[in-house]
Amino acid sequence: MIELNNIEKYHPAKGIKHYVLRHVSASIASGEFVSVMGPSGAGKSTLLNILGMLEEPTYGTYHFMGEDITSMNERKRIELYRNHIGFVFQAYHLIDEMTVQENIEAPLIYKKIVASERKSRVADLLDRFNMVAKKDLFPSQLSGGQQQLVGIARALVAEPSLILADEPTGNLQSAQAAEIMSLFRKLNREEGITIVQVTHSEKNAQYGNRILTIEDGVVRTDTPVAGQL
Amino acid sequence: MFKLNIRIALRSLLRNKPAALINITGLTIGLTACLMLLLYVTYERNFDRHDARTTRVYGVMTNVPDGKGGITATFDGTTTALAPMLRQSLPALEAVCRLSYGSIRLIASGEHAFKKEARFAEPEIFQMYGYRFLSGDSTTALADPHSVVLTASMAKTLFGRLDVTGSRLRYQDQYDLKVTAVIEDLPLNSSNRFDYLMPWLFYETVDPSAKELNWTNYSFITLLKLKPGIAPETVNKSLVTLLKSSGSDSEQPHFIFPLQRLHLYGKFEQGRSVGGDIEQVRLFTALALGILLLACINFMNLATARAGRRAREVGVKKTLGADRRSLVFQFLTESMVLCLISVALAVALAELLIPAFNSLLRVQLNVGYFNGTTWLALLAIVLFTGILAGSYPAFYLSSFNVIGSLKRNAPLRRFLPFSMRQVLVVVQFCFAVSLIVATLVIYKQISYIKNRPLGVEVQALVEMPLEGNLKTRFELFKKRLLASGAVSAMYQSSVKLAHHSSNFTDIRWPGMQAAVNRVMFNKVGTGYDFIKTNGIKMLAGRDFSPALPTDSGGVLLSARAAKIMGLKDPLGKVIQVMGERRTVIGVFADYVWDEPAKTNNPMVVQMEPLRGGSMTMRLNTAHSLEDNIAAISKIAREMNPAYPVELSFMNQVYAGKLESERLLGLLSRIFGGLAILISCLGLYGLVSFSAEQRTREFGVRRVLGATLLNIMQLLSAAFLKLIAVALVIAVPLSCALMNTWLQGFEFHTSVSFWTIAVATLLTLALALVTIGLQAVQAARANPVDALKYE
Ligand SMILES: Nc1ncnc2c1ncn2[C@@H]1O[C@H](COP(=O)(O)OP(=O)(O)OP(=O)(O)O)[C@@H](O)[C@H]1O
Ligand SMILES: [Mg+2]
Repeated sequence: MIELNNIEKYHPAKGIKHYVLRHVSASIASGEFVSVMGPSGAGKSTLLNILGMLEEPTYGTYHFMGEDITSMNERKRIELYRNHIGFVFQAYHLIDEMTVQENIEAPLIYKKIVASERKSRVADLLDRFNMVAKKDLFPSQLSGGQQQLVGIARALVAEPSLILADEPTGNLQSAQAAEIMSLFRKLNREEGITIVQVTHSEKNAQYGNRILTIEDGVVRTDTPVAGQL
Repeated sequence: MFKLNIRIALRSLLRNKPAALINITGLTIGLTACLMLLLYVTYERNFDRHDARTTRVYGVMTNVPDGKGGITATFDGTTTALAPMLRQSLPALEAVCRLSYGSIRLIASGEHAFKKEARFAEPEIFQMYGYRFLSGDSTTALADPHSVVLTASMAKTLFGRLDVTGSRLRYQDQYDLKVTAVIEDLPLNSSNRFDYLMPWLFYETVDPSAKELNWTNYSFITLLKLKPGIAPETVNKSLVTLLKSSGSDSEQPHFIFPLQRLHLYGKFEQGRSVGGDIEQVRLFTALALGILLLACINFMNLATARAGRRAREVGVKKTLGADRRSLVFQFLTESMVLCLISVALAVALAELLIPAFNSLLRVQLNVGYFNGTTWLALLAIVLFTGILAGSYPAFYLSSFNVIGSLKRNAPLRRFLPFSMRQVLVVVQFCFAVSLIVATLVIYKQISYIKNRPLGVEVQALVEMPLEGNLKTRFELFKKRLLASGAVSAMYQSSVKLAHHSSNFTDIRWPGMQAAVNRVMFNKVGTGYDFIKTNGIKMLAGRDFSPALPTDSGGVLLSARAAKIMGLKDPLGKVIQVMGERRTVIGVFADYVWDEPAKTNNPMVVQMEPLRGGSMTMRLNTAHSLEDNIAAISKIAREMNPAYPVELSFMNQVYAGKLESERLLGLLSRIFGGLAILISCLGLYGLVSFSAEQRTREFGVRRVLGATLLNIMQLLSAAFLKLIAVALVIAVPLSCALMNTWLQGFEFHTSVSFWTIAVATLLTLALALVTIGLQAVQAARANPVDALKYE
């Protein structure tokens, strides 16, 4: 699904190339659950942003589902966001002016799905995440864990094939974190959704089936998870 | 999605109440101004356009030559001889109509007498104006010399009902007339209005000057209706040749001007239309749109100031698959929602303000004036406002890239050393400062003209029309008033003191160079005590004296008249006024009449047989004003029972001459006030936002030992700099602009250092108060609270 070939990324600062990623090559197959780990400032978020096409690599090629991203236009990229990629953020990034229900519904509106279909899909997700009672609340009225559940529901509603999650549990307590992680594993196993997450926690990494470690912009290790939880 | 966008827009309004309040206040004010403007422009643009037949109607205009090849004035007065000649020899004309100027005359139904506006016209008037007949018809209405046509409200006033054709009326307590038709009231926005209309044939019996066909008395209106397809230029050409061949000694060239344009474009210079009421329409348009623009700027500024917060939303939505168009659309929806709320409020507000506005501009607007086009225009204004206010924030915000906006506190991009927001604040304050300068200069000019010596002692001076029995019994009336002690001196004259309508050129004097005089002179026909009553200063000679019978052939010259004639020692010289020889017995100092800011025509004052006109009286200040008025009224009612007593105070008459300047002053005060209010509201919003953003910084600084004053300075400096820039730009510009305005007056004040100082200080003070209010709050906040925040 994802083919990274010799990706480089640097920020030019006062004439000096400040490298964030160097010679990153990796491939992620459909149905994998990959955890990216590494020290702070290593370039994990940058890598994820490149995967999500939010940032462009300075060098190298990136093929997503067989297509070359670097030569892709804006319109096509928006198509990918609408149909194939869901984002989950550490800071949830729900829209304050929208209720839980509206937040989940938003991607479907952009995808131009008809109202009846939207309603039933949102109802399904609310049901599945046990949030029916909270559907008319605003994000500020929810706990952090609940907000992240809404964030994940929002990422799932358009039925993406890839979920990119940057420290999805970074702001949560361990009990809540475990809940989110089992949800990810379930989505990965039962629905075959490919997941790439950035995490600082060994324990969370064990929910996936592969761990990439990055240090100073270079992939240090790439190991399968032995006894998956 | 549209419904969701509106829901979100309303929620975000509620979440940001102060910003919403500032925006709605500003937009409501701006839209109210625009709404009023729309009504006003509709009213003005429809002047004389109520009926399709008026499109081919032209008024004959007269140019007044200045004797040096130029034209001093252009007006719509023509002679009695013109119309019959045109009727005979210009086949391009469908109809020609002579019409009198309106004058307030007595009309009575039995005991009920009223003074209302009367006009005389030839029956062709019905081909020019589309009057709607409630009874009677256009073929018979003015056929009989003793007929009269009433407007509906005139009929109601006189009889209390409308079906009054055939009823009798008495005109000027002298002539019996029969009502032949009742027509619907004429719209206020039509020229040549009247309350009742009488036939020209009757005019000829009332006023001999209307009967005699002459080429010298320009006191009548001539209207023409061209045949379809005839170009006015061809008529103008024929006019010139016709006038030459007709052998009239009239040197004043005529031209025709469309009746429908006369109201808006009726100001002429050198015989060319150079504007007119359209200037007022334009001024008002500029002011109303300016106010709306200020409100839009507030919206843009507050929206982009919050950009940091909204950026995150934009970023997230982009990752959800939103394209730029849908984001732009969302932000525009927000500004549209705000506009719709404001326009609803504005309609209500306009409804409340219309009465005041009507009395202010002397117009009659109501929302009933709204027709399909006006509503469309209103819709257009709302859309325009929404897009104007919303588009910059929409395109600005939707352009954020995802990564930048999702990172916390990412600094926003900047292309220039200053932001759009700063530019807009400067624009706002430029507008406000200019209006302050304008207000001050107009005020100064009005007081300058007011304080100019009038040359007449206007206090305790009153005037009253000379009409009815008093015309024949004036001497007795004068004697009785003087005996009563209410009046210390009085005179009668052919024209009012402050307005002289009788201009003429037929005058000769010893040593005159040209063969024919071309300078317009003005003539006042009077009896004794003209100088004494008015308190006018004599420069040489004396007033008319009853002791010297030869004074009936005497004449007084104004200083300007003596100067134009170039007479070294005018006393005793014999001049010829309209063919009559008269001896100069005195020269008096010029006094102000007609336009107070202009040098008036040279004047001659002479004894003339009493023909009616006006009486001017000096009240005896030994008695109270009330007693004087009561005494005058009692005697007038006794001697002239058919007429009401109408006394006007000369100081008010003179004050009324500054009406249009007063109006301009009022407009600039109102709009200036609103501009400052809206700009300061916007400033308040920006300062409070900046204070909120810097809460933590201020907290840290306070902990590090910064004083309250330091913090206030920190917060205010940036904004005060903008105000200073606005002042530097706007003050010289507006001063230059107002200087040109002042040049339009012959007598004018100047823009002084004080004007500039007051405008500058006032603006700075208002801005300081606005900023200070916020700054104090921000600086006072407990630093611990501020630091706990994050
Ligand atoms: N716009 C930029 N300009 C310059 N340097 C940048 C920019 N964005 C990121 N960096 C640098 O790139 C490096 C990698 O950042 P990145 O956010 O990918 O790290 P990370 O591995 O996600 O760290 P963390 O675990 O703290 O989230 C950092 O050293 C950061 O300073
Ligand atoms: Mg990171």
